[in-house]
Amino acid sequence: MLIELENLTFSYQKRLPPVLCGLNAVFESRGIALLTGANGSGKTTLANLILGILKPCAGSIKLDGKNAVKMSPGARANRIGYLFQNPDLQLFAPTVEEELSFPFELSKTLTEEKKALLKELIKKFGLSGMETRFPLGLSGGEKQRLALAALLSKGVEYLILDEPTSALDAGSKEDLIHFINDFSKNNGVLVMSHDEDLADALEDKRVLRLEGGRLYEA
Amino acid sequence: MKLDPRSRLLLIVLLTTLAVLSEDVGNLMIVAGAAIGAGILCRISFLDAAKRLKHFLSLILFIAVVQSLTVKGGDILVHIGKVQLLTSRGIGFALEFVLRMSVILMAGLIASTAEGSEMTDGLLKLRMPYELAFMSAIALRYLPVFRDEFANRIKAIALRGIDIKKLSLWTKLKLYGYLITPAILGAMQKSEELARALNARGFRAFKKRTMLRELKLSYKDWIVMITALVFTAVFLIRMYTCGALLVL
Repeated sequence: MLIELENLTFSYQKRLPPVLCGLNAVFESRGIALLTGANGSGKTTLANLILGILKPCAGSIKLDGKNAVKMSPGARANRIGYLFQNPDLQLFAPTVEEELSFPFELSKTLTEEKKALLKELIKKFGLSGMETRFPLGLSGGEKQRLALAALLSKGVEYLILDEPTSALDAGSKEDLIHFINDFSKNNGVLVMSHDEDLADALEDKRVLRLEGGRLYEA
Repeated sequence: MKLDPRSRLLLIVLLTTLAVLSEDVGNLMIVAGAAIGAGILCRISFLDAAKRLKHFLSLILFIAVVQSLTVKGGDILVHIGKVQLLTSRGIGFALEFVLRMSVILMAGLIASTAEGSEMTDGLLKLRMPYELAFMSAIALRYLPVFRDEFANRIKAIALRGIDIKKLSLWTKLKLYGYLITPAILGAMQKSEELARALNARGFRAFKKRTMLRELKLSYKDWIVMITALVFTAVFLIRMYTCGALLVL
């Protein structure tokens, strides 16, 4: 999915200077975009704007050429997956299995096909044997894999990863890098990170830097 | 006017006491007037407060409407056939509720004007044990933490592709069921982290404490406190003599 930002401006308060000031950028439907920037430079704010959690003060966001302003966060989330820096915040259900299935149960769309897909995701993300475990009781790496599996269960076309390696050990980090490189072959990924190891390991990436509310291509 | 935390605490105690003890609309209107006066003294921005509390205010109005429609008695103002829709007693009840809650909200707003550890310092000066004063300050600080915890999870739910607005009431309730456990766990985790941080910084390592800021009552504080106490005394005596006191 193609994400286009046109003169995107955002400020948390009218009295304060804007956090993002007239951003223009295109995030391609395939490949990796690595977004860097100091703490408080507006990386998470930008993600929240793309996801519809925040509304821009000026400018527009287009998803596949269509203006996203009228799309609800729920509708956008079916196409764009957002992995929080702290995956604890996006796990809710009492078991790993239900964590993946509950959005479909709520919308009454849990078909046999879907169930098979969820089983496949559990296997793919190394969560086999943990189906009945409490998600918040898993290790940091397992929680992150579960959160990723939950996002992919919706069939998202684009992933936004917010500081994805901040709580991972070396092994989990390697798994994640492998996943990002693999996923980006057919989909778009926006990685927001300070991690230099991660930056070095990502293949064919485009590096962007957010500074003083403006976006620079590195 | 920058009031000492002790003056603000006294205003809070007196206003909430009067709001609870006052029974009729007239008396509650006087107390509400006094609460507005206290709010102006404490430099509360009423417009900002209304924006912050808009959901709470809508809830108060909703309860008031329900009360006015369900409490019967007095003169019938609106009726359909034999069914009484609105009575003077119902309207009185609703007005009393709105005024009482407004005073209590104003007391809360006065409490929220305290910066950092001001209220703790005020309570300590009133000879409250340090642990209790600190606990009450932490409890106040903890409310926004819990609110943010819940708000973040609602946001995360939306980011799982679930449009909460479109769900039926039953499904929404089911969804909130999913949210409560992790939200409580998250809040407990934060409180444990806070306890560890306190211990790491030597909380209660020494019996004697000193303070960075020493509170001193200014002549303005004395004027406010004496006026508030005299007003309360006169008001209570007046209510007692008129038989309008709720408890006594």
